[in-house]
Parts: sequence; structure tokens; C-alpha cells
Amino acid sequence: MRKIWTILLLHLKEFFKSPGVLVLMFVMPALFSWIFGGMTMNSDQNKPVVNVVLSDSPVSKEMFNLLKQDHHFDWKQQSRNQAEKNVSAQDAVAAVVLPDDIGQRITETKPLFDIIVQRKNEDYLALSTHLEGTAGLVLRSYQATSKLEADALPKVLDAITNNKGIMVEKQIIQKDSNNSVETNLMFVGFAIMFMMFGLSGAASTILEERIGGTWGRLMVSPASKLQVSLGYLLAYFFMGWIQFAVLMVTMNLLFETTWGSLVYFIPFASLVILSVVGFGLMIAGLVKTKQQASAVSAVLIVSTCMLGGVYWPIEVVPDLMQKIALAVPQSWAMAGFKEIISGSLHSATLMRDTLALFGFSALFFFIGLRGMKFE
Amino acid sequence: MNMLTVQDLRKIFGKFEAVKGVSFAVEKGESYGLLGPNGAGKSTTINMITGLFPPTSGEIHIKDIDVVKNQKQAQKWIGVVPQEIALYQSMSARENLKFWGRMYDLSGSALEKSVDQVLEIIGLSERAKDKVETFSGGMKRRVNIGAAILHKPELLIMDEPTVGIDPQSRNHILETVKRLNNEGMTIIYTSHYMEEVEYLCERIGIVDHGELIASGTLSELRETIGDHSKIILAMDKERFNPEQITESLTTFFSDKDFQIQDQQVMVFHKEPQLILTDFIQSVTKTGAKITSVDIVEPNLESVFLHLTGRNLRD
Repeated sequence: MRKIWTILLLHLKEFFKSPGVLVLMFVMPALFSWIFGGMTMNSDQNKPVVNVVLSDSPVSKEMFNLLKQDHHFDWKQQSRNQAEKNVSAQDAVAAVVLPDDIGQRITETKPLFDIIVQRKNEDYLALSTHLEGTAGLVLRSYQATSKLEADALPKVLDAITNNKGIMVEKQIIQKDSNNSVETNLMFVGFAIMFMMFGLSGAASTILEERIGGTWGRLMVSPASKLQVSLGYLLAYFFMGWIQFAVLMVTMNLLFETTWGSLVYFIPFASLVILSVVGFGLMIAGLVKTKQQASAVSAVLIVSTCMLGGVYWPIEVVPDLMQKIALAVPQSWAMAGFKEIISGSLHSATLMRDTLALFGFSALFFFIGLRGMKFE
Repeated sequence: MNMLTVQDLRKIFGKFEAVKGVSFAVEKGESYGLLGPNGAGKSTTINMITGLFPPTSGEIHIKDIDVVKNQKQAQKWIGVVPQEIALYQSMSARENLKFWGRMYDLSGSALEKSVDQVLEIIGLSERAKDKVETFSGGMKRRVNIGAAILHKPELLIMDEPTVGIDPQSRNHILETVKRLNNEGMTIIYTSHYMEEVEYLCERIGIVDHGELIASGTLSELRETIGDHSKIILAMDKERFNPEQITESLTTFFSDKDFQIQDQQVMVFHKEPQLILTDFIQSVTKTGAKITSVDIVEPNLESVFLHLTGRNLRD
């Protein structure tokens, strides 16, 4: 155990002495996360504004609550005059005027909402879809309650707005990712990518040591191959965890991010780091020089990160690409982190991601250790 | 008692047989030199003895331990000075020594004491805290040796430990090795510098093309060439005619006793003074112009030349 610890400490020391590695493993991911995280956070604060002109009826108030369910817009109640001015000045995407008598509108087959809009931009297109959906919902609710008491419609609309039953069921199946989860996943993605660069660079030092003679000297010492291998691999594993922990804390301080349940996050992150160590070892085992390792790593890391949803959510790419992504470990890592960070913790999904990462790790270690020359 | 016994050792890499049935034994406290040109199979033999890679066939025993079967047990008894400077360059000399000491199961005050002693032996106590990358080639070589003797091995194996260093550092290293041997450490020393092997080793094995072609003390090896000295005549290029010189020399000497190589004519004889005049006359009567005359006493170089027909550094 002492020999393993000695080798581990030696490599951690060497690692922290190298400014290049420190920049790659800490500064770069923190910088990327800060820039892109800042952009995402700002966009969250600058939601497009929609003005709503309410009437005095209780139905109008409930319809307003229903509209506010779309969190992509900042809904603000205004008088008609102010709303018109805001739209004209392009301070609001549109103004939605809610009718006094909804029954009359429906009977006369008139549109349910009056919309004041200056220019039909992308935000308006997104808004119109939500408005059409809400109008349809109100219409069906009106038809269902038309023969009941006068206050039946607002009660139904209120029930729809606050229907916790539907939300709870959705949470059990799988939570929809919100902006915060996507941002946190982006931090994790950058951490994984730069960790892959850092650790594959660190693992390729074995190649330098082989040429320099220290590897051979270790082999002729009484330290066993297992002790030497464990010393190196644990050093890389700790490097990975130090990087991950530093980034987690930094992002937490900068953006108040949350990482979901640490009971799930820590073991899963450990598995991801293990597979990244295996990846670095595999590269070191397949090539002969550090220069070759750098070139091969760069190509493999960038391409598999693109495929695996590290740069952008995997859902935005075509189905075929999503299927190809299953062949790279990053897609399973990101899927697992999404489950944990969003709080879904869907056990079947997490189990599937965990098993897939175990499989990748085993494969990488098998190839890497076979390629390692202990002579 | 034999410290090392090597029996019919072979190593084949693909179709290339690097070591072809080498056998020798080294007694406890002895210093044994393996001499041979680059690529002769010295390092391959050494690497099998140290357990770096297994032999294709043959047996190696350190004391009574079978190196092939109980590699790690055997490695505790040996110290290895590799040909490369196998050190962590960004670490200090002390840090390097401590690291390698720990690899040989040293710890605590025993490790500290051993590191201090070794730093003194290699003459680097003053520079102990300096990074190895700031050292000269000779100083690095000394730390390289230091890392191998921390655990006071009974058998020290040195693979060309003086390659590419200044004469001062070389002398320091040779003195250190001599001292360790005098203190009872068994030494195996490989080199293609014959003067080092002559100075350090009681017995010498000559390796060429993967075979141990001769083994014995220096005087025993000299006897293989009959204790003959070598007279070397260097010739001017213009009037040098090898055929005429060969014809002229055969009237005095047998074919085995002389060699013509490049623009040099060499004759081997026990008493060179007796034949020097006849030799010079035989050569000059062909019209050749002599530019220099050298008489070389029998040494390992001439033994090697005699055994292989080549110079050691060819």
C-alpha cells in the first residue's frame, strides 16, 4: 500500500507543478463555464415581455393565470393604453387583451383573445402557439361548463392551472429539464471534456517514462505490476476528482448552481471519472509516443463530445445522430447527470446509464492494460 | 558461493536471436565485466537478469532464488543502474532518492539516513535540494547510481553507467564503484569502454553477436592472443599498395600475425622490438611512405580484435 501511495503522491505533485495542465484542467473549463453560463443566466433574466390587458371578470383573471404557465415569457398586467405604447416601443413582444364576456365571443365565433403586435418575430411565433393552446383549453372548458353555474368556468380554469396531480405524475416519470438544469449540465459537460484532455495527457506520461527509463526502473524494483498500475491509475482518478470538485464549487459560488442529490452525484461522477481514466489509459496503450497520444486524443475527444451531447443537448440533433451517440460514453454520462441534477432520479434510466458507463470503463481498461508494456 | 548464476540464457525477439545461450557465474564480492560493442547483447542479458523481461529459455539464479519464477523476491537483492538517466527531472536529488528508496521498502528514519549516506557517497550533499534537471550529465549519472544503492543491494548491476559524461565525473563514478566493491558489494558492469572494465573488474566476459565468446581474468584473456603486442604503421595514401605489402610481409610473417586495414599495417608479436626493423623495411621496400609508428601493449581491445576480427567500437 505504501508503494501505491508513494507513486500516487509523486504523480499528483508532478501534476500540480505543471502550469499547462493546471490551465487545461481548471482555468479553461471554469472560463468556458463562466462565459457560457453567464450567457445562459442572462438570457434567463431577459425573458421576452408580454403585456396582458385584463377585464373585470373572474374568468379573465383565471385565463391570465393560465397564460403565465409558460415561463419562457415575462407576463405583465397593463392597461390597454400602456400595453399599446409598450408594444409600439417594442418593450413588449405583444399585448394580449382578454375579453369581458367569453361566452359572447364563443357564440359569435370570434377569436378569444385580441392580440396587439408590432412585428411578428420569433418570440411572437412562440407566443402564438401558447396562446392558441390556451384558447383551445378555455374553449373546451367553456363547453363543458356552459350548462352549469356561472362561476363553474373560473373554477375549472383554476383547477387546470393548479392541477398538481398532472405535475406529480410527470415528476415520477421524468422531469422536464429547465433552463437551470441545462446550464448545470453545460458546466458538467465542459468539466468532462477538459478532464478528458487533462487525464489523457497525464496518462500519456507513461509513454514518456517508458522512453526516459523511470518506467523500466520501476519494473525492476520490488514493486509489483499491480502496485505500479494502481499507483498511476489512482493518481489520475484523484486528479479527475480534484478537477471536478474545484469546478463544482466554483460554479456553485459563481452561479449558485445545484448538483442534485450528492448521494447519487458523487458515485456517478466517480464512475464517469473512472471511464475517463480508462479512456486516457487506452490511448496511452495504443500509441507509442506522447505526441501521437495528443493527436489521437484531440480528435477522439472533440468528436465524441460533439456526438455525446457535451456541447449541446442531445435532443436537438436528428434521431440518427442520437442513435450513434449511444456508442460514446459521454452521452450516457450526460444522461445520468441530467437525471441526478434535475432531481428525476428515475431508477431505470440511472441504472441503464451506470451499466453503460461500467461497460465502457471495462472495455477501456481492458484495451489500455493490454497495450501497457510492463517490460 | 555464487551470487549470480546464468545458465544457457537465450532471448529471441521475433526472428532475431539477441542472446544465444550465454552462461556465466559471478561469485559473492566479485566484480564482473561484460564487454562488447553496441548491439552485442549485453543490455538484453542484463535486462533478463534484472527481471525486466523473461528469457526465451535458460535459467538465472540470484543466490538461490530463481529470477524467472520469483522475480520480485530476487529484485530485493539487486540494485540496477540503467543505461538511461531514469530519474524524475523536475524533482530534487533528495526527492528522487527518497522515492526510489520507498520502492525498495525503506521508510522513516532508515530512509532518511540512507539518503544522507548515498548523497555523501555520490558527492552531492550540497546539491541535494536542487532539481535534477539543473544538474550536469555527470551529476545526473551519479544520482542515477545513488538511486540503485540506497537499499544496500548485495548485487549491483550497472549498464553502461558512464555514457556521455566528462572525465572528472567518470573518475568519480569509477572510484565509487571500486569502493562499493571493496566494501563487499558484488558488481556486474557492462561497458564498451575497455579501460573501465580493465580498471574495475576482476573477471571479464566478452560478448559479441549475442554470444559470450570469452570469459576470464584480464591475464587469462591476454593469453588467448599469446600476450602479443601490436605494432601499427600508419601509411601515406599516395604510395600505399596493400597487395605489394602483403606479398612483402609474407616472407617474414604468417598470415595470422599481420593485418592491413585502411591505411594501417599491423603486426602482432610477443617481443615487438626484435622484429620492428624487419617490419619497417618490408613495408618501405614496396615504396610506401610511413607517417607514424605505434607499439600497443596487449589489452582488451587487442583481445577483442583477435577474437572477433573487429575493433570494439566498430
